[in-house]
Amino acid sequence: MSVDQHLQALTKVVVNNLENQHDWTQVKIHTQDNLPRPLLYGLPPKRLYVHPDEQIEIIKAEKELNERIPQEPELEWVLPLHLAEKWSISDFAAVFDAITAIPPGGESVNANEDAQWQLWRGPKRGKRILLATVQDDSTVTYYWMHNGLVKPRQN
Amino acid sequence: MASTEDDRQVRISKIAGRYLVFDIDDVTYIRRQHGICAVFTGTMPQNPTQNVFLGLPLELYAEDAKMLLDRKVAYIADDPLEHLTRLKSMDDETRKSYLQSIKTQRRTAQLVIDEAKAQSQARHKDKRKPKQPQPPVVVPTELPPASVDDAAAVEQEGGEEFLFESSSNKPVKTAPAPPQKPPVKEQLPAITPTTSNAMISTGTSNPDVENHTALPLYSYLNERGYFITPGLRFGGDFSVYPGDPFRYHAHYMANSYGWDEKIPMLDLVTSGRLGTAVKKSFLMGGQKPATDDSEAGELRAFCIEWAGM
Repeated sequence: MSVDQHLQALTKVVVNNLENQHDWTQVKIHTQDNLPRPLLYGLPPKRLYVHPDEQIEIIKAEKELNERIPQEPELEWVLPLHLAEKWSISDFAAVFDAITAIPPGGESVNANEDAQWQLWRGPKRGKRILLATVQDDSTVTYYWMHNGLVKPRQN
Repeated sequence: MASTEDDRQVRISKIAGRYLVFDIDDVTYIRRQHGICAVFTGTMPQNPTQNVFLGLPLELYAEDAKMLLDRKVAYIADDPLEHLTRLKSMDDETRKSYLQSIKTQRRTAQLVIDEAKAQSQARHKDKRKPKQPQPPVVVPTELPPASVDDAAAVEQEGGEEFLFESSSNKPVKTAPAPPQKPPVKEQLPAITPTTSNAMISTGTSNPDVENHTALPLYSYLNERGYFITPGLRFGGDFSVYPGDPFRYHAHYMANSYGWDEKIPMLDLVTSGRLGTAVKKSFLMGGQKPATDDSEAGELRAFCIEWAGM
């Protein structure tokens, strides 16, 4: 099996898993010349990641407004990988250098400048990729990978 | 105290390949000013299993030591290495003065022995009947001439004593000696010097630190105000605190990798899972090696967390 076919199959497994097990929508395959393999992006059913500092600002805003602020899901990048693969720091760096923080089509969510918490969906959003690691039994595990030092969430 | 902080030189003792700090002021200094807390390793001799409250010395990572060395606030004291270097690089003058100092010590020892001998003789003489009138002290009369030509004695007896001197010039020295001076040989006692201070002149060699593979990531974190402690208890190489560990919980468990070092995906999955289990993020970092165009490569760090799906 050629490398291309392998990558196609891998991508397909992840797409199926995202759409059917995790109810993602708008899942698209993204190819780019400087990317070593196709990436995916799509919309999860609920918001997947909130930065701890953003969380603080949301809580502050909620206190001021005296109401809950609904958290709409955001488009997220997904990198399909197989468990048997070995990647180096330089490989990951190449992927992060090639992408924008927000996947194509996600920029339309316009941030309101006077609400600090909304900036985290726009200019303050760091680069992050969901590593989708596929095992031979078609189990897929999902881990966030952030670019740079990003403190852990309070969970 | 504040004025001495500026030019403080932390003494890092390298003992059996470990970097240790014994001075409590140095320990507080590097913790406050350089964000290095390292590990206390000292325990009580009577209670060696008591390992909750360990004390001095503080053991540094090679990365810590290298960082302090690069900031010019510390020096490495490596006794065995220093000693051997000194011994090998000793010039003729130092050698002579060392032999001279040994000789002086031996003379002092001889004086003490003689004195003790004279005293005991005097004591015994009181007890016994004096059979023959004897000059009470014989030895002191011999001593003055010996001490007068100290230097000459060293010169002439130089062939007899040697301290790493090549044997080739020995006969040259001894050959002319016998005709000049009758063989009135000083019978000095042998001594075992307890220090080698006299052998060592001023100045120190500057041993460097080796095996600091994680230094790029280490100093990257340290420069950003993070404190680093050993990370085994959380399953990584280092645990990384956003401030002094007295005040904060660790944010990351960190591993350092080479730029092109292949990392098995399973390691990332297990480390990410483990990090999340202890409410930390798994940090992996590596530095781009120097190329022709750029000297100091950039350091890239990535954080991995469980996605919760």
